[in-house]
Amino acid sequence: MSHDTLPRRPVRTAGPPVTAGPAHRRRHWTRRPNPLAGLGSVIWLAVVIIPIYAMITTSLTRQDDALGHNALKPPTSPTLENYDTVLHSGFGHLLANTVTVAASVVAIVLVLCVPLAYVAVRSRGLWSSAAFRLFLLGVAIPAQAVVVPLYLMIAKLNLYDSLLAIILPTAAFAMPVSVLVLTGTMRDISEELYEAMALDGASPTRMLFQLVIPMTKGGISTVVIYSALQAWNGFLFPLIFTQSDGPRVLTLGLFNYVSEFGVNIPALLASVVLSGIPIFAVYLVARRALVGGLMGVGGK
Amino acid sequence: MESYSRRWFLGAGATTLVSAAGLTACGSGGGSGGSGGGTVTAMVYGDDAVKIQTQAIDRFNASAAAKKTKGSIKLQKIPASDYPAKLRTAMGSPNAPDVFFNWGGGSIKAYQEANQLIDLTDTIRTDSVLKDGFLPSVLASGSLGGKMYGIPMRGMQPVMVFYNKTLFAEHKLQPPTTWDQLLDINTKLKKAGITPFALGGAETWPELMWLEYLVDRIGGPQVFERIKNGDASGWGDPAVLKAAETVKQLIDDGAFGKGYSSVGYSNGGAPAVFAKGRAAMHLMGSWEYPTQLGKFPDFARKELGWFAFPQYEGGAGDIRNVVGNPTNYWSVNARVANKDAAIAFLRDCASEAYTKDLIANGDVPTTTLAEKLLDSSPNPEYARFQYQMVQQAPAFTLSWDQAVDPSWQTPMLTEINKLFVGKSSPAQFVSALKGLK
Amino acid sequence: MSSTVTTGAKGRTGKGARPSRPHTAWVLPGVLFFTFFAAAPMALAFYLSFTRWNGLGDPEPVGLENWRKLIDDPRLTQSLTVTVMLTVVSWVFQTVVSLLLGVWAAGRQRNRAVLSAVFFVPFLLSSTAISLLFYALLDPNFGIIRGDTLGTTSGAFLAIVFVGGWQFIPFHTLIYQGGARQIPEVLYQAAAIDGAGRYRQFFSITLPQLRNTATTSTVLMVVGSLTYFETVLILTQGGPGTDTAILPYLMYEAGFKSYDFGYASAVATFLVVAATVLSLLLVRLTGFGAMRSTREGM
Repeated sequence: MSHDTLPRRPVRTAGPPVTAGPAHRRRHWTRRPNPLAGLGSVIWLAVVIIPIYAMITTSLTRQDDALGHNALKPPTSPTLENYDTVLHSGFGHLLANTVTVAASVVAIVLVLCVPLAYVAVRSRGLWSSAAFRLFLLGVAIPAQAVVVPLYLMIAKLNLYDSLLAIILPTAAFAMPVSVLVLTGTMRDISEELYEAMALDGASPTRMLFQLVIPMTKGGISTVVIYSALQAWNGFLFPLIFTQSDGPRVLTLGLFNYVSEFGVNIPALLASVVLSGIPIFAVYLVARRALVGGLMGVGGK
Repeated sequence: MESYSRRWFLGAGATTLVSAAGLTACGSGGGSGGSGGGTVTAMVYGDDAVKIQTQAIDRFNASAAAKKTKGSIKLQKIPASDYPAKLRTAMGSPNAPDVFFNWGGGSIKAYQEANQLIDLTDTIRTDSVLKDGFLPSVLASGSLGGKMYGIPMRGMQPVMVFYNKTLFAEHKLQPPTTWDQLLDINTKLKKAGITPFALGGAETWPELMWLEYLVDRIGGPQVFERIKNGDASGWGDPAVLKAAETVKQLIDDGAFGKGYSSVGYSNGGAPAVFAKGRAAMHLMGSWEYPTQLGKFPDFARKELGWFAFPQYEGGAGDIRNVVGNPTNYWSVNARVANKDAAIAFLRDCASEAYTKDLIANGDVPTTTLAEKLLDSSPNPEYARFQYQMVQQAPAFTLSWDQAVDPSWQTPMLTEINKLFVGKSSPAQFVSALKGLK
Repeated sequence: MSSTVTTGAKGRTGKGARPSRPHTAWVLPGVLFFTFFAAAPMALAFYLSFTRWNGLGDPEPVGLENWRKLIDDPRLTQSLTVTVMLTVVSWVFQTVVSLLLGVWAAGRQRNRAVLSAVFFVPFLLSSTAISLLFYALLDPNFGIIRGDTLGTTSGAFLAIVFVGGWQFIPFHTLIYQGGARQIPEVLYQAAAIDGAGRYRQFFSITLPQLRNTATTSTVLMVVGSLTYFETVLILTQGGPGTDTAILPYLMYEAGFKSYDFGYASAVATFLVVAATVLSLLLVRLTGFGAMRSTREGM
């Protein structure tokens, strides 16, 4: 397994004697148009695009116009007033909270999981193996299952209605997959490299920082993206563990807009569009890293 | 906008835990917030009427009473659909509100049992502003076991039928007084392609109102009285079955149209269906008027009419019987730090300014001052109708979901929803409710 | 899976210094943190399932009461059935679509790259945002699809399946795309020489070669579909009636609507046990944990 998470083109090894000139050096058969697949992809394109398109056009329509308007037609007199409404309902504050939560979750997960994975890969003790199994089992535990006892703990710890009430359990539940991804990547570092460093008298700590972390960049970026997404998507913890405006995060804010805007569907959809814009910007700037990192969650 | 405060990032008193994780820096950024000092937090149901409480708090925080008690009130608006659950989780945490909105009765029973409420009986008795400020029957409805725990803070909330006057005039219809007349109206409306009744069936409480009134009209108020006292066999009363069959008949006849089970009320769906003329009538609490005034003011002022739920032929219930909530209340948490400020704030609910704010919002307050101020209501006719409705009612049945033991509430609502979506027959409905423990 | 780094793993050269290994204690912070915020709550849920607690005051022990109630509760059977059906139907829907799209997107044509970039967009929205989007689009009076979609059992069920797929298919497509690109090209070349057509190649080479990818994707899908909670809460609230009340929703309702936290904990414990058994099965059947052994056998 490579530490480079972007898929690489298969290396051409001993190719059979294909009667091919330079023009056929690549898989020529996939170059042929495939009408069935083409049709399928167009259908899926419609499935993806239509809701997004309807969302955007509706969000640009005045509420009164939206009632009789066919969302599939472009708005007759587009307006940004819905965006204005949402932005004046504390949207920036919600976004700032979500970013704080995501950054904190990522930091906690990295600080805790990198050494953990390092030990799980390098140490042969029973304990490290037991620790690894603990996380392996944790992969399938749905966070919903523990929301009642966590609520009790959060209340007793005086953390109720604070961002930490969201951050700490979210980080804990992002750990199992993170540990699996990191151990998967770290196993690909060859013994020779450790030995070479050992010849220089390197301590395990130095090996971690000078060998393991640099060689695990792909896995680390996967973990960053994965745990940031967990925080970005998190809904139940904020729903149960917070109540006031102060620590309200984006997902919960969106949910609350349902009561606030009600059937002002254009404003509701404007808030959904706005919630997607920050991460869409990240996608535009760092598409390769994001996509590559996510492929890493699936292993390769 | 809230300022970033340390308190909500950290939670009170978790500083050590956090500094260990090196996170303290993220939370600070000015602002004091917090519930320390004299601040009293007030948690309220966040619907359109919340502006009355906001005004009251602004008024209080600038008042002499606030200075004297060194307190100020901080409002926490909770989205309507989520209020009871949020109240419960907050009350179980150290960040419980000092003062909170509730429906009296069953809605505060658990808090009373957990000793989380201040007994306001003596406070009310010794304070003429509170004692004489409200209709005695409404104050009494906020009590449990003879002790008073609530100060009325919103309008009275009888349930009635609202109708679209324009549509009724167009189709030459008169508000009905009997069930047969109502069925006749339904038929005419359906012929004209209009859904007779708007119904926010995505939530169950609007459906519940139908059963509440039908059981009352068919069997009289004593049928539910027996159920309320914990006798599950009371569900076996023939009136309950008859009411359920009547509901099924209405559904089968298309009285609520087709998509009603995905329409909400709290999100404004059913009010919009009604205001936009897609449905001609709406069985709803008296807050329908202020809700419409907030969302569709033209409709509320010009087209909205109302009448009492009709008499059922051969039924035992009086047409003057009312179903609904007397009002909403503020209760005070036993752990309140600045009780003086909290009580001083509650006294404002009896004031003329507060009464006027409620009336201006289209509500009918339960204060004694209200009667003579009703003429200043945006709709004096509606205000007086409501006031008299409540005043003259031989029986006022509290909404079932608030009246029954909390452990019955969710299963009861689930069964009602199943009846309305056709998942259970009237007979199954009755036998499921008889099985409640 | 290119093996650029691992090549000489077996040939330990000469008498090179044995690298010292990190101390096991390094795992402590992570293990403690996870135990405290994830494992301990599970134990606490188990304890709470033997108590009565309404969220106020302290839980009181009541023995097996909640468990007896759980066994007798017809809603548990219904909820379990819905959860399993949702998992299976979602798995079929998402696997078929993302497998086909992933293999298609693995081709290097320019138009495929562009479309793949577009296909990915739904995954950028949070589950809450997506549920709200479809909640708005399906509003019976003011939405785009004005019908009673969410008011019928099959409509509500399929809406949840569709919304889940709409969000997660982009991610699984990516996984299959990555998998498909790692299939050695020689296999196709050989098949082409044997005269195998495009569809035969798909069934005889692509599918079998994607076995491991499918395993990973399946594990993630199955675990993921246990967490459709937001979608259910926002779109259907478990309705119509109780027809889409999946297990996590049943637990939420028992806890945060009926305030019967003891019973909610019994449901939660059941969910944890079911999820653990499921994950053990999946790990056993698919060798998901095999990453562990790549180096152990040395």
